[in-house]
Amino acid sequence: MCGSSVAERRRIAVTGVGTVTPIGTGREQFWRSLLAGRCGAGPVESFDTSNFQVHRGAEVKDFRASDYVFELDPGCLGRASQFAIAAARLALEDASLDPIAFDTQQAGVICGTTSGEPQVIEQFDDQYVGGGLDRIGPEFIKQYPCHVIAANVASELGFAGEVNTIPAACAAGNYAIAHAFDLLRSGRANVMLAGGADSFSRITFTGFARLGAIAPDVCRPFDRRRKGMIPGEGAGMLVLEPLDRAMRRGARIYCEVAGYGLSCDAHHMTAAHPEGSGAARAMEAALRQSGVTPDDVDYISAHGTGTPTNDRLETIAVKRVFREAAYRTPISSIKSMLGHTMGAASAIEAVVCALAIFYDHIPPTINLQESDPDCDLDYVPNCAREHRVAVAMNNAYAFGGNNSSLILAAAPTRLQVTVH
Amino acid sequence: MSSLGDSAPRLHRAMCEGKSGLHPLEGFDVERPRCSLGGNLVSFSAESYLKKKNLRPLDRTGQLVAVATQLALEDSGWTTEELGKQDVGLVLGTFFGSVHTISEFDRHAVLAGPSYASPMDFANTVINAAAGQAAIWHGLRGVNSTISAGSTSGLLALGYAVDLIRNGRGTAILAGGADEFCFESFLGFERAGFLCGSDGGTGEFPIPFDRRRNGFALAEAGGLLMLEDADSAVARGAYVRGEIKGYGSAYDCARGRHSERAVEAIERAMRLALVNAELTPGEIDCLSASANGSVLGDRREALAIAHVFDAQSDCVPVTAIKSMIGEALGASGALQALDLLETMRDGVLPGIPLLEQMEDGLRPVVVGPKPRQVDVRTALINSVGFDGNCCSLVLGRFLM
Repeated sequence: MCGSSVAERRRIAVTGVGTVTPIGTGREQFWRSLLAGRCGAGPVESFDTSNFQVHRGAEVKDFRASDYVFELDPGCLGRASQFAIAAARLALEDASLDPIAFDTQQAGVICGTTSGEPQVIEQFDDQYVGGGLDRIGPEFIKQYPCHVIAANVASELGFAGEVNTIPAACAAGNYAIAHAFDLLRSGRANVMLAGGADSFSRITFTGFARLGAIAPDVCRPFDRRRKGMIPGEGAGMLVLEPLDRAMRRGARIYCEVAGYGLSCDAHHMTAAHPEGSGAARAMEAALRQSGVTPDDVDYISAHGTGTPTNDRLETIAVKRVFREAAYRTPISSIKSMLGHTMGAASAIEAVVCALAIFYDHIPPTINLQESDPDCDLDYVPNCAREHRVAVAMNNAYAFGGNNSSLILAAAPTRLQVTVH
Repeated sequence: MSSLGDSAPRLHRAMCEGKSGLHPLEGFDVERPRCSLGGNLVSFSAESYLKKKNLRPLDRTGQLVAVATQLALEDSGWTTEELGKQDVGLVLGTFFGSVHTISEFDRHAVLAGPSYASPMDFANTVINAAAGQAAIWHGLRGVNSTISAGSTSGLLALGYAVDLIRNGRGTAILAGGADEFCFESFLGFERAGFLCGSDGGTGEFPIPFDRRRNGFALAEAGGLLMLEDADSAVARGAYVRGEIKGYGSAYDCARGRHSERAVEAIERAMRLALVNAELTPGEIDCLSASANGSVLGDRREALAIAHVFDAQSDCVPVTAIKSMIGEALGASGALQALDLLETMRDGVLPGIPLLEQMEDGLRPVVVGPKPRQVDVRTALINSVGFDGNCCSLVLGRFLM
């Protein structure tokens, strides 16, 4: 099999970012809100929560699909696809990349998701229980299966290369970026849009509520009083291209993707391994591939869902890998502000890492007032912080024991990184 | 794990005898159905394979994958001790995950109230659940991923896993796909008019490439192949059945709405696979088509094959096993690969039962209704989705 000798391994740059989030759409609005510590949690409006014990979520407000969807008919798209297209368009604009300027057969889309298009199946189910199966038409099979998210983005933008969806639940964004990174390095693509998208889902809300994992008020990662996550929605997309091509066209380079690590707990479907070993293995693999040590990492974007268990186990895992350096490495959870945007989360967090490197600024973990003896690291409480960030690590963990760790590093002028 | 057997030799033998895994459906009451045939596993008992009492955490898709994993591990000679010492990965392609589990969870919560939703079932509503479950069940601690690209998912999963191994992400990865047969999926395809049937009469079988074809029959299966770095496989004394020499994938932005563009994407996937494998079309000894009886899909694939194989298209034997195994969505590509490995071993390519007359203007000489003797050193597999995804993969004999 040809095309992937080690000597030809390309370095991969992030040249554009786009986000749709509960605290802002588009790089500038989103970054401003992040640094200001804005909280996106509020009463759930997408559906009636009166039968639930919890009522809060982080929904995207005032989103108009017609602002971003021009080629396809927004009415034929589920909400996750709409978010994904919006984030993708924004990322392409941000990268100053005009589709007429490159070979679209060498351009692809890898999108992560947890739920696919839940509103489509929820509508199907409403018709099912309401005795209205005869009303289900041909659009169900064309709008529901999760591969349509990446496909819709590709169709909207005219990308005709590698197009697929990686439904790795709450780690999907990292998995999608990792896959896009590999495709670019092996020469299967020259431009990739990679990220994740999820829309608010009554199925997801119901399930997490039933697990007792949803907080009654706000998401307080690492706080002693934390009671759970706040379900959210949104999308994050990054434009990835070979570094040499990006430099040749004079693109703004946010950072490089230095490497990644993936692991599987093979332990429990919804609970992480009690010693954090899977998470640790993912971090170690990412560090190894990137050629950086824990001391080199300037910022960790945590999975930090705000559940009692995750935050404690994540802290254990970080200490396992970083040892003493764990206490010197700022680690924050933007889920404190965005809620848990599911498949979009680690993609949006990767965007945040790219921006942190570019702007030398770290977003806070908000709602953190009481410290927990089990969580004693520097979580950047409540206030954003100016901090030189040359290397950032983005961690995400999913149902099924899927663990991921992505490392982004400043562009070559600032850092010498050996990429294997 | 399929309706024609739980091993590649059984599946292959059945198809070489022209047996169909499709049968009249019972218990899937859809108003005014066109299609009455399906390839669901009627007497599937995961317990008999997994030998554990409590399978409750697994839904049907999870069972298919866990069983296929068990069978693949046994077939490739991986023992429990070896699994303890080395991280084996799993890359699963799937169309739906389990739409049945997702839908049922939601319907139950709507009817009984959210306090009565089942936490155990919730765990299976994520599309990567089956891959996670199989990893827990069998102690697979290597890279674990799920990929969805419509009905090309299984073939694409094989390619994804090959690249992971070549990138040093693991030396042994199980790869393939699975999808279960369920009411929700059946209804969805029915309503889109994709399924074969005789409009009111008893169902006709899907006949890929035939002039009379009018759709495909839905099936379910789990198919996994153990992929290993060649040196490692040889070092542990594994019986190597073949080699994946390359793959390619392409996307039709028009999502199947324009014939020429659809054909172009299929053609491009095939050419990319050949280039990736460093082979010319003339070096391909047979082709396992994605054709499943779809009116548009089969025609477009035939045209694409004719374009790529040009002068050879009169000589390259083309088979379409979905004539017998049905359209198993995420599992299809894996089943096609498993069957072709058997063809490479015994020199017999399954026929397309009931095929009588190719549509006018379709050039590829398909193998015909009867099986054919073929000496296969390299083979091409196609996987084509109805809405834009195209994938092709080259299999070859393993030579040290």
